[in-house]
Amino acid sequence: MTQATETKAPVSTSDSSAMDTVRDIVVKYGFIAVTIGFFVYFAVTEPAFATSSSIFAMLKFASVTAILGIGVMFTMVVGGLDLSIGSTAGLSVQLAAMTMVFYNMNAGTAIVAVLLGGLVVGCLNAFLIVVCKIPDLLATLAVMFVIQGAKLIPVNGQSVSGGMVRQDGTVAPGKFDPAFLKIDRGYVGPVPLPVVIMLVVVVVAWFILARTSWGRILYAIGSNPDAARLAGVRVGLHRALAYIMCSLFASVGGLILVSRIGQGDVAAGSSSLLEAVAVALVGTSVLGLAKPNAWGTLLGALLIAIVLTGMNMKGLQYYHQDTAKGLVLLLALLFSFTVSRRKARYTPAT
Amino acid sequence: MRTQRLFIASLASAALVLAGCSQGGTNNEETAKPTETQTADEGETTGGTAEKPAPFDQEVRVAVVQQSGQGDYFQQYLNGTKQQAEALGMKLDVYDAQGNNATQATQLDQAIASGVDAIIVRHGQTDTLCPGVNDALAKDIAVIIYDVEIQSCAPDAIQTQQSDAIMASLVLDQMVKDIGTDQKVGYVNVLGIAPLDRRHAVWEEYKKTNNWDELFFTGTYTNSSATDTAPMVVSALQANGDVVAIYAPYDELTKGTLSAIEQVKGAKSDIKVYGADISTADIELMIAENSSWKATGATDPNAIGAAVVRTLALSMAGQLDTKKVEFPPILITQDFLRENNITNMDELRAKEPALNIADTSSADWIPSVKF
Repeated sequence: MTQATETKAPVSTSDSSAMDTVRDIVVKYGFIAVTIGFFVYFAVTEPAFATSSSIFAMLKFASVTAILGIGVMFTMVVGGLDLSIGSTAGLSVQLAAMTMVFYNMNAGTAIVAVLLGGLVVGCLNAFLIVVCKIPDLLATLAVMFVIQGAKLIPVNGQSVSGGMVRQDGTVAPGKFDPAFLKIDRGYVGPVPLPVVIMLVVVVVAWFILARTSWGRILYAIGSNPDAARLAGVRVGLHRALAYIMCSLFASVGGLILVSRIGQGDVAAGSSSLLEAVAVALVGTSVLGLAKPNAWGTLLGALLIAIVLTGMNMKGLQYYHQDTAKGLVLLLALLFSFTVSRRKARYTPAT
Repeated sequence: MRTQRLFIASLASAALVLAGCSQGGTNNEETAKPTETQTADEGETTGGTAEKPAPFDQEVRVAVVQQSGQGDYFQQYLNGTKQQAEALGMKLDVYDAQGNNATQATQLDQAIASGVDAIIVRHGQTDTLCPGVNDALAKDIAVIIYDVEIQSCAPDAIQTQQSDAIMASLVLDQMVKDIGTDQKVGYVNVLGIAPLDRRHAVWEEYKKTNNWDELFFTGTYTNSSATDTAPMVVSALQANGDVVAIYAPYDELTKGTLSAIEQVKGAKSDIKVYGADISTADIELMIAENSSWKATGATDPNAIGAAVVRTLALSMAGQLDTKKVEFPPILITQDFLRENNITNMDELRAKEPALNIADTSSADWIPSVKF
């Protein structure tokens, strides 16, 4: 692809190179402009939209999606996709609730249990994909169903809440630790804690991918695993690590979710998968990078939060919002795959 | 190979996005309904001639934060809410969490941040909603709740609900009349959901008093409860074919039970089913030939949606002297529907004006919407 552009450049007229410059600018800043445009439009037409409390509410709204999106993004970087991320977040919800309500443990133990749960799922995915050589979409699809069902077995399919009566007639001994509820409801200065967690996750992911050699290895595997293998990279190991990272981020997102809901909601997380994949895909279109990246994923989550909040304030129904979400995703994909001259680096299941 | 994979992957993601849009599951019967109900249930307003007190002398902004908006019942509820709000000159924003509790919590935050004067919260989990509700109350936003046990943690919020205890006992009285005592019965319900728990309490009482032998207790609450409950009831009936009646106190569960009875070959065709709730779809099922659905207890979701708005208006004007309002249901039997040739909600409302509950939470300055 790079070769093709290079050979084309000398013969192109000045007109077409001006066109190319315009196209570069559109590709690079188009999506950021779209985001700012939406924000300004809603801020001007809805007086309550750009107030600080409303902006923090939007950021909070974006936090879980952004964190899960970052997780999915890691698997996309190595050319895969983790479909089990939503159910892993759901598993975290169940694990946290059970640890505190059934076993009467405190917030710290619950957090450790949740992260361990994420680690186990990540290792399972990695084992199935790398060792058993099952294509990642299929392996994680199977794992998604297994977790969705298995997490409900110990709770008999019931949502776990403090003081609940269990199937055997006994009252559960524990309740949600107030400290645990602070994960979603706490503040650092004026900033809600989940927003801080989101920013930390994004910075960590950005640093790993853009500033470390490991990040370059992951991208190399994504664009050409065979070349990476020939260059001496242990492709299997690094793909495994990417899936483990993904599940760990999923459990961090799950921690915020369960703290927000305040009970072990059986349905939690199941709808998060699609949004996470969507924002990570939207992220590929930012700055003309045409590859999964951390800041782009954050921007994707913010854009969706902005659009949905604005539409809510305008009194539009959920089906309008679903349509808008789909259109935003489509627009981003057009930026990445069609308008961009750089060939999009994300081709799943390669 | 590469293009092929790319194609498969994009197909998969397209399917995922589509699946995402249908979050909440669709029941054909229900998706087909809203258009019909919306045209049919155009309410008419009566009364409201007196001058409106503050704050209704100017526009009042209200947000509805609903846990779910899909399905017949929820559409009708929102329809009633919208029409009553319009009659009172309120501007209404609707936040719909599509069955996702975490989304409902964030949407409650967003509603508060959007600077509304009042918030109507419909359904959801007590633990999830408490912090937001208390936050809103602290910011002087009036909060009215429908069908959530909120007063345990937010005593200043106004709690409203249909009276599930009355609904259950009306239907179970009919069941006693029909089958008598000392019988083998089945039970289809899901615990952990406030209104179903309240109906369960009444069921336990009736079971004991009438010495009914409960042979099975099954059911599930999902995005498509009727479809998912049916196979569970099929298995239960295959194992316990000798039940004479089944109580399924939520119309999705009742529907699942009816379809299970149809599927089980050799099940006694005279099993009587007692349900809850009403809609045009439910009426069709009740009056169908050989239908097992004998009786249901119901309120009109349109009327409830409107009554909640009136209750909110009274409270904002400082004229509500209670924090808890219950809306009374009525008993509807299969015989009544058949004798009066009732085939839809409009005809039912015409025969049963009590469904309108237009006198509940009314005042001379509130134009009451009737359906």
